[in-house]
Amino acid sequence: MPRILMAGLSAELAALLEDRLGGVAVRATRSVEDTLEELARGDCSLLIVDYSVMDQTASDVLIQAHDRLAVNELPVVYCLKDSTDTALAGTLLQQTGVAGLVFHPLDGEQLARHVASILGLPLPPAVTEEKRFEQEISAAVAAVWERFKENNLGRVTVLDQAANALLEGKLGGELRRQAEREAHKLAGSAGTFGFAKGSRLAREIEYMFQAGESLGQDQAQRLSQLVRALRQELAQTVVGLAPTPTPAGESTMLLVVDDDVDLAERLVMEATSRGMRAVAATSLSAAREAVARERPDAVILDLCFPDEAEDGLDLLAELGSFRPPVPVLVLTVKDTFIDRVEVARLGGRGFLPKPIPPADVMEAVDRLLQQCRAAEARIMAVDDDPQVLATLRALLEPKGLRLTTLNDPLRFWEALGESPPDLLVLDLDMPHVSGIELCRVVRNDQRWDGLPVLFLTSHTDPETKHRIFAAGADDYLSKPIVEPELVTRIVNRLERTKLHRNMAETDPLTGLANRRKSVQVLGQFLRLAERYAQPLCLAIMDLDRFKQVNDRYGHVAGDEVLRRLGEVLLHTFRGEDVVARWGGEEFLVGMYGMTWSEGVQRLSEVLEAMRFEEFTLQDGAQFRVTFSAGVAQYPRDGTDLQALCRAADVALYRAKETGRNRVIPAGCCVGNEEGTG
Amino acid sequence: MDDENDIREVAQTSLEMVGGWRVLTACSGIEGLAIAESEQPDAILLDVMMPHLDGPGTFRQLQANTATRYIPVIFLTAKVQAADRVCFNDLGITAVIAKPFDPMLLPHQVAEVLGWAL
Repeated sequence: MPRILMAGLSAELAALLEDRLGGVAVRATRSVEDTLEELARGDCSLLIVDYSVMDQTASDVLIQAHDRLAVNELPVVYCLKDSTDTALAGTLLQQTGVAGLVFHPLDGEQLARHVASILGLPLPPAVTEEKRFEQEISAAVAAVWERFKENNLGRVTVLDQAANALLEGKLGGELRRQAEREAHKLAGSAGTFGFAKGSRLAREIEYMFQAGESLGQDQAQRLSQLVRALRQELAQTVVGLAPTPTPAGESTMLLVVDDDVDLAERLVMEATSRGMRAVAATSLSAAREAVARERPDAVILDLCFPDEAEDGLDLLAELGSFRPPVPVLVLTVKDTFIDRVEVARLGGRGFLPKPIPPADVMEAVDRLLQQCRAAEARIMAVDDDPQVLATLRALLEPKGLRLTTLNDPLRFWEALGESPPDLLVLDLDMPHVSGIELCRVVRNDQRWDGLPVLFLTSHTDPETKHRIFAAGADDYLSKPIVEPELVTRIVNRLERTKLHRNMAETDPLTGLANRRKSVQVLGQFLRLAERYAQPLCLAIMDLDRFKQVNDRYGHVAGDEVLRRLGEVLLHTFRGEDVVARWGGEEFLVGMYGMTWSEGVQRLSEVLEAMRFEEFTLQDGAQFRVTFSAGVAQYPRDGTDLQALCRAADVALYRAKETGRNRVIPAGCCVGNEEGTG
Repeated sequence: MDDENDIREVAQTSLEMVGGWRVLTACSGIEGLAIAESEQPDAILLDVMMPHLDGPGTFRQLQANTATRYIPVIFLTAKVQAADRVCFNDLGITAVIAKPFDPMLLPHQVAEVLGWAL
């Protein structure tokens, strides 16, 4: 049985390692003397040395012990304090027999992996995999819920109607039976999606509807309350459902630049296994191409490219000049002090001397990304109690989050404009202006649409919670503040909003939804339309002679046109309509519950508005634009997205053919209805 | 078989991911009868409250058809009052699993009731 010796680490960690690996004996020693004693016994297969027992003399002693005991074959893993002590790391790596390097805070799982790999032991699957599996399922369930959430909330609306009818004493048999059915359905499904309370509420509601007219006025009131509570329960996004696994890794893009093909591949594999996307470039030009294609979230860069005229430092400088700069970890054999200084000067965020196991490189990447993410986040906290603000600062700033505090709610609007935050924390009860009012003010302004708002409150009764969510808040945190909870929830919120932006659901130029997002939402709409037998109107618009606009007036003018059209579209259509930019000069609008004629009318309004828009260039020249559009309707012109788009497209084509600057409906109206023109 | 789309999807996901079984779905009793006959599943999970042809109705049809009468049937239902249970047992179904079900547990419940290994 392999024996592992751990010098300077805890007995707990030793036990953990033993358990995790199974079939090894792990012994922890505290001092150098003990360690040497143990080593003298000669049956040690692996030595793990913590920085706490390492000082100059200790490591010398150990090296001597190495020689003396003729145990040159003994692999040693060093645990250093943190990754910033690269000098020491460098020195250690020069020694023979160094099998690995890990840093505090130690990850037991990572250590186990190292040990297993060094000793050639099999590593049984971690308990965490079960967790991950569970999370996968929860995520899948949550995804299904999201798709049917509207549906289910629609059921609650029926319950609302019935409850109101009951209050007025006008509950008919048909509505009552329907309400009973819907409540029964909800009782049977809410719990499956994590809303156990929802199921309980729904069941009570079901029983009450069963009793029907025999309910007194008091009970009718209670029924209304129950329905409200049910809606609130089901309308929640986070509470009740297991959190989706950290999505951050999915959209993280790592670029590995190294002419060592093997190493590059191994790094890419390691990154991919951690859920990141990774690309390898084995030359500097390939690296530049990759960066041009997609901006990486982090880069691992070797400095030596013997086959090329320049070295990695040039690319490092380039990446550092991006706004915002691309974080780079340098991984190289070139490890002199001068190199390190140069790298630091050019903005390199880390220096990893080769050789180093890919897993450790990934750890460093993870840490780097975490730093980058957190550092960009700004939080604003408003509370009249300076004690609370101080606590928040003490808890959040060490995590790298930037905090702006405000203890006078009257100055809120000013402060919001001065330093726009990524997340807002509000105290519920404040003098003069309550947190609820501040939240409403924020939610009323389109600029702050995506801003997550968290409430801090010592009251967590249902009434308060209802008020909090009714005001438009995203979540609440109870006072007294519990540290891990606070930070976790805040970081989660930030990750999610960042992801929202990063995943680019919106077209950056116009602020409209992009194609991908709109396809997703249209799919949902079509399913709803099918279920509730509603029409859906889909229109495709294309700017007329747009290429000429770009050619004649320049791309800046062209962009302005697109932007303005986007504004007009957003203005004309409802919040729940899909308004998207589908391509260069192509736009799409989806209107649930509208017929083609209503769609034609709306678009004609837009056309009218655009006709009056004058675009003025720098030299004073002016021009106008028009567009053509085709309008289709579900289910008349098609029952799936593709068919509807085709139908709208055909109509669009006809609009172009017959003179442009018009809106034409799809279908059999050829020649009869030219639409507006 | 379940007329509610979301429940069908979650059940399918849960049974496929955790149970590792191949799952067919139907959104009505009538559709389910056709699939049962042609595909000969090893077990059927049947929602009780469905429009047109409800759970017990579907079950009786399954029993009446020699091709499907030996397939074990489990009712999945929110109706869990004692009277209902007696009624179900009289019908001759294999078991009843209550709604709302836990997607993590459902496959284990199904396996237990059918005597299958997971």
